[in-house]
Amino acid sequence: MERASSSSSPDAFGLLGLPERFDLDPAVIEQAFFDKSKDLHADRFASAPAAERVAALSRSRALNDAYQVVKKPVARAEYLLARAGVTIGDNERVEPELLMEVLELREELAEAKGAGKVAVASVGSADERGDAQRRAATIEALRANMAGRRDAAVGALAQLFERADLAAIKKQLILLRYLDRYLEECDAALDAED
Amino acid sequence: MLMQIAEPGQSKVKEACKPRVVGIDLGTTNSLVAHVEDGGPKCIGEDPLVPSVVWYGEASVLVGRAAEGRPGAVASVKRLIGRGMKDLAGVRAMLPYELEGDDRAVKLRAAGRTISPVEVSADILKTLKLRAETALGGPIEGAVITVPAYFDDAQRQATRDAARLAGLEVMRLMAEPTAAAVAYGLDRGSKGLYAVFDLGGGTFDISILKLVDGVFEVKATGGDSALGGDDLDRALAKEYVGPPADGVSRLDVATAVAEARRVKEALTDRERVDWRGHTVARDDLRRIAQPLLDRCGRACRRVLKDAELAREQLDGVILVGGSTRSPVVRDYVREVFGREPLCDLDPDQVVALGAAVQADVLAGGDHKLVLLDVVPLSLGVEMMGGVVEKLVHRQTTIPCGATQTFTTYADNQTGFDIHIVQGERETADACRSLARFVLRGVPPMIAGMARVEITFLVDADGLLRVTAKELATGVETSIEVKPSYGLTDEEVERMLVESFDHAEDDLARRNLAVERVEADRILAATRGAFASDDGLLEPDIRAAGERAMADLEVAARGDDYLKIRAAIEALDLATKPFAQARMNRAIEAQLRGKSIDEAEAGMER
Repeated sequence: MERASSSSSPDAFGLLGLPERFDLDPAVIEQAFFDKSKDLHADRFASAPAAERVAALSRSRALNDAYQVVKKPVARAEYLLARAGVTIGDNERVEPELLMEVLELREELAEAKGAGKVAVASVGSADERGDAQRRAATIEALRANMAGRRDAAVGALAQLFERADLAAIKKQLILLRYLDRYLEECDAALDAED
Repeated sequence: MLMQIAEPGQSKVKEACKPRVVGIDLGTTNSLVAHVEDGGPKCIGEDPLVPSVVWYGEASVLVGRAAEGRPGAVASVKRLIGRGMKDLAGVRAMLPYELEGDDRAVKLRAAGRTISPVEVSADILKTLKLRAETALGGPIEGAVITVPAYFDDAQRQATRDAARLAGLEVMRLMAEPTAAAVAYGLDRGSKGLYAVFDLGGGTFDISILKLVDGVFEVKATGGDSALGGDDLDRALAKEYVGPPADGVSRLDVATAVAEARRVKEALTDRERVDWRGHTVARDDLRRIAQPLLDRCGRACRRVLKDAELAREQLDGVILVGGSTRSPVVRDYVREVFGREPLCDLDPDQVVALGAAVQADVLAGGDHKLVLLDVVPLSLGVEMMGGVVEKLVHRQTTIPCGATQTFTTYADNQTGFDIHIVQGERETADACRSLARFVLRGVPPMIAGMARVEITFLVDADGLLRVTAKELATGVETSIEVKPSYGLTDEEVERMLVESFDHAEDDLARRNLAVERVEADRILAATRGAFASDDGLLEPDIRAAGERAMADLEVAARGDDYLKIRAAIEALDLATKPFAQARMNRAIEAQLRGKSIDEAEAGMER
């Protein structure tokens, strides 16, 4: 099975009663979500007849899904870009420099993951626990480094949206996909050490 | 203050016909049932703690204090519910009973019979139900049952099955830390960001919530559904009595673990305790607990990371669960969060109290609050090569949904193997397997041409439903699965019948009473809605509705509850377009900025 595409809610900003723009204060998004939740939350209709309950549940779900899209800057940017008719495919062309850098970073991560795992003499030994701790520390450091880079990349999105530079936004979002994928790999590796 | 969402002037009417509902904390060590009276939640029973212990005799089943200490009594089944043999490899040796089963579900052997954790949990729930019915003077019409926030889909499903088996109508499965936050929020009028540190007998949860104006939003949740005070008891027993050796009976192991628990509890108020020729100091307990506490600490740091918060941004840390009584645990929490934790509500009762409040809210009570909980672990499907594609990420607010389209990877592939998993790891085999199904009837095409749309829907209980549709030819095949680790629906039905055995008539009578009440309610509601919203009512819908109401009245006079249920469903179906029209109008009014209540007086009962 292979991934083809995903779809998101039709009018995420409208459901939250927010203007369709990138530059939004997180506190304003949260307040809008809380206000709408008070009116639309499925629990309000818990003792209504089945048909109304079902309708209320799907309303609640649409509102929550909209919140997921709008509250996260990257999801919000991808959504706005798609609304402007620009989509990001799975096999987008990437600049060779970025590709090289990502490959190097991933190699570093792979090394960190494997360190001390070869020829473990006795499972559960103090040596092995020490190795696991060292691995976790190395991965944490790689992760923190990348997280800083990601924050900067997200921060840059606001300016690109101000200039309405769709091509640059797309390029930035492709970069962010690589960074996010890397962060996910770090987290999965840390989980494995736990 | 809390938002008032209820229609003014309706609370009295509601009070009069308020359904009898309860909140239940089904714990590893103890279980409780609570309800709301005079505006406040209260636990039921002089001693509200019912030990989660069941003893199976020749002709009788004992639950709680009566079962405690009897040879062969079954305890801590919450650790087994919704789990497979593989998950339990670590604790198996220390359990006082034998397990059998596969990687999907286990059964335990006790007192010469083989029984599933779902059935044992159902026996505990039946006792709580009876306790509540006795105290409240009538049948319980609904219950909110708490589960650890970190319970996966299989564990939640199994818990719900247990409740159904006990004859309880489950209004909601509620996360334990969220329930605790509700109890605290209402009691203290708290606002801001709170961490709930919930260490019970066998599970650990850490949730971060934002409390504001009657909204309780879970920002992130984490934990370990196999980590609790039990583990500390076992570690203590291992340290001072030695690991269970060959030839040592399971009873001896159980005795040593039970003693260890008393030693641990005694160390809450005392610095040292003599036990089996050793002097155990509180610092010994601290040393033995350290590896377990470190696991808690890791989960705490991770949940802060997920919530994108630093510990300094929190307004408080709430302690929940019997294990947080230990000073060893409190000291650790203080160290991790850098502040004095809150523990002014009874950590054993607080979860049940919060669940009772939510049950009251769902039954239309006076408290108005909105709970926004999250999915604790990501949900996804297995892709080519065993990699997981996540459709719903952890910390997504529920209810939620996600749709993704997949293509074939081989030419002329006519079936889609769909494997649904839950967890954060990269590969499917490292995640929890929830369900597998094959979507057949895909027309033979070259690779990448056939398109299958997979939809995940997570409801407010955190339970997942999956639908798959084949799109390429325009012919839609649709299949629906409900992951059911514990038991299939048929098994639950069969067990329901078996467990009631000779009490089948009782069950039928109770069902009849419940369905009749429901029929009266629906009839009154529909008549009211017809009268107040005549304008939205198409003539043919009105006619169909009137017919369905007449049928329901006839059915309600008979004594076949299934017929009444069918007539209720038929009425629901007949008036669905009308209900939808009213719903749409309510939403429109809401979007125009008008309050839903102004536009909808009389919509809610």
